[in-house]
Amino acid sequence: MVPARVPISRPAASAFRTAHRPTAYGGAKYSLFVRTVVTKRYTKDHEVVAFDDSTMKGTVHITNYAQSSLGDVVFVELPTEGTKVAQGDQIGAVESVKAASDIYAPVSGVIDEVNSKLADQPSLLNKSPEDQGWLCRIKLTDAAEIGKLMDEKAYKTHCES
Amino acid sequence: MHHLPTYRQSKSCLPVIAARTTVGARSSRLRSSCSRTLAADSSLSPQHSVYVSRSTNPYFNLTLEDWLFRHKRPKEPLLLLYRDDPCVVIGRNQNPWKEVNLEASRRTGVPWIRRRSGGGTVYHDWGNTNFSIHLPRTSFDRHATAQVVLRAVRSLGIDARVNDRNDICVGEYKISGPGSRGFLAAGYVSGSAYKIVNNRAYHHGTMLISTKLGLLGDLLHVSKNTIQTKGVESVRSPVRNLQQFNPAVSHETFVNAVVAAFRTEYGIDEEIRIVQEDANVKDIEYIRNGMAELPSWDWAFGQTPEFSQKVTTKFSWGELTAEIRSKHGVILSCCFEMSNRRDLELEQQLAALGEKLKQQKYGLVDESALGPEVHGGATGEVWGWLRVEMSN
Repeated sequence: MVPARVPISRPAASAFRTAHRPTAYGGAKYSLFVRTVVTKRYTKDHEVVAFDDSTMKGTVHITNYAQSSLGDVVFVELPTEGTKVAQGDQIGAVESVKAASDIYAPVSGVIDEVNSKLADQPSLLNKSPEDQGWLCRIKLTDAAEIGKLMDEKAYKTHCES
Repeated sequence: MHHLPTYRQSKSCLPVIAARTTVGARSSRLRSSCSRTLAADSSLSPQHSVYVSRSTNPYFNLTLEDWLFRHKRPKEPLLLLYRDDPCVVIGRNQNPWKEVNLEASRRTGVPWIRRRSGGGTVYHDWGNTNFSIHLPRTSFDRHATAQVVLRAVRSLGIDARVNDRNDICVGEYKISGPGSRGFLAAGYVSGSAYKIVNNRAYHHGTMLISTKLGLLGDLLHVSKNTIQTKGVESVRSPVRNLQQFNPAVSHETFVNAVVAAFRTEYGIDEEIRIVQEDANVKDIEYIRNGMAELPSWDWAFGQTPEFSQKVTTKFSWGELTAEIRSKHGVILSCCFEMSNRRDLELEQQLAALGEKLKQQKYGLVDESALGPEVHGGATGEVWGWLRVEMSN
């Protein structure tokens, strides 16, 4: 069997409680019967998760700030689909022209899908970090985890700190 | 001139150096050669700025570096200096089977370790000193940290410079080889790697001081062309020891020079904290876990990026090509192709062998799971060949 990615021990939890707005914000899309709300939330480790409450799935990216300080990405290691992850587990790695960085699960759940395009086009992380360069989708076990992550304003403050 | 593996995708120059055969007593010299009082503290705290490790255990030093990286206040600069017992250190996203001559590693007892930063493969021993400069992510600048180390080397009377990839070089370019595609070679004395996590970044590197460069070749695969990897590959760089330019340079003088340059650059006037690998330090859970993780299969082999290996050989009954695909250290598939003969029975046996190899650990296959066929006949020959191809 394929071993699950090792949760790499690290200090500090990702539960950074600065979300002043408990309600979801972001793009609201209307389909015929279902109104879905996509909420974007950020982690201290510069991941961003776009959570769709109708599917309970969160799409994970690295932020534009993260990609710009890493420089040209040459390699992306992604988790295996079906892997169960806990918030804060290391789920992947990014390597740029010289620096390595780690990717942590912003939320707990199961890896539902990974962006297989990144294996051959790691530069998508630079070209389109918060869209085409998505890393994986996680089916959340607890939607409340989203509310505890940073909103855009809090994340900006974190980057400047 | 020695041409040694370094990081390909960045076209960078991580020098790889060879083991020293003799090592002298060194732990007492550091204390006497430092100009300031050294603080030896039995309890390790991340609140200081200048650390020198007395341990030469690479598992300890790499873990200490990671612990300081993740526990020091992110806004404050930090310097760590250490050297290691002989070991091969591969980059975070490299393939040990491609980079390391594993057979030589087993034979010589020189271990290999996957570090946490990016880049290519280097060799550590007492003849090179490792520096590690940690800074806030926002003010991290590879050029600036390279300049700190450059100033230290220059203060030792060596006319070094930093190239456009922030590697430190000494000596003039030499052009050898014919035609317009002349071969440029410089004397690299140091190569670097970097890590960025959260709001912190570090630049660490090796400084070659007194290594017997000729002994290196055995431990590294200069090129193992049968393996194609998605991760990061090393390329060779020419390297030099600092002692070739100034015989008086030693670990101690280099340590003092870097500490002085670091203090000047960041306006720090703090004494050196000496770190010992003692029970108190190893009692820190993060350090204990980190030291256990580095040699574990899950980290060392299990973090290997996807790769494929294609090998061909001739048996008495014909030529055979095998293609193995592996990810995270586990075999995904193994396919065989006989090129000059049809033998349906053997083809079926080999297909069955390929099925049994799936999900086995690459290079560490549990032979009892392969069935009795691998102990004799043509299938046995094929398995014996594959086992060797995967193990060195």
